[in-house]
Amino acid sequence: MASMNSVLFISFLLFSVGVAGVLIRRNALVILMCVELMLNAANLNLIAFARHAGTVAGQAFALLVMGLAAAEVAIGLALVVALYRKKDTIQVDNINLLKG
Amino acid sequence: MEQILASIGNHLFLVFGLMAVAGAVSLVFSKNAVHSVVGFLFSMLSVAGCYLCMSAEFLAVAQLLVYAGGIVVLFLFVVMLVELTKYKESGIFQRQTLPAVVAVVVGAVAFIGVFWGTVFGPGAKVALTLEPALAQNLDVAAQNSQAVSRGLFAGYLLPFEILSVILLVALVGAVALAKKERV
Repeated sequence: MASMNSVLFISFLLFSVGVAGVLIRRNALVILMCVELMLNAANLNLIAFARHAGTVAGQAFALLVMGLAAAEVAIGLALVVALYRKKDTIQVDNINLLKG
Repeated sequence: MEQILASIGNHLFLVFGLMAVAGAVSLVFSKNAVHSVVGFLFSMLSVAGCYLCMSAEFLAVAQLLVYAGGIVVLFLFVVMLVELTKYKESGIFQRQTLPAVVAVVVGAVAFIGVFWGTVFGPGAKVALTLEPALAQNLDVAAQNSQAVSRGLFAGYLLPFEILSVILLVALVGAVALAKKERV
């Protein structure tokens, strides 16, 4: 059985890569995928702590988080498509409509 | 399956987890968006393997269906839909890449420093097993989907129903956002 420290370590690595991707990439699609990575790291922790506590509440929450991630991706990709129609780019530093 | 997990489960989990991290790194650092999506797919499949190693079989299958079956295909559709080649010359990384990387590394070091005793201490070697008194006439490790359904539909029915409303809102909102012009 997977031990607690390896689960926490892997989830920490995944979350760090996700944060780094959100901060350094310009492409809005890649930023959305990195947000998904962070949600998956949180899911790993939820399942690990649920097994540690001996309940299934964390697994149920992980399932709910998965559904929320799907909804978030649908909305985010619709925003990306709408943005591409409006501004003809999905590079986030070209999107400066509020800059005045 | 149980014998395999009991003997080499931790190493198997580490292998799958490092594969997931490798997929994530290739997602972040690849120039082509399609390669990024392939790295994302690899990472999600490896996370499903991690779930299997933690004997959360229902969630592993749900991960395969939702991510590999749905979300990756959505991402691929949008990558094909928007044209990315026009802006290739402007570089893939932001201008604040160096401070961002420094901030992430500092945050990682701070996390390791604070949680070193928790994550790597001698007390953390306890394997993730279930307390049988809490499982309530149910072998949670052996009947995973039954246990998850009992948790969802007995304990957390209201969040589950709210999630269905949220999915409906996301569906209508996505259609309204991606429509050509408003009528």
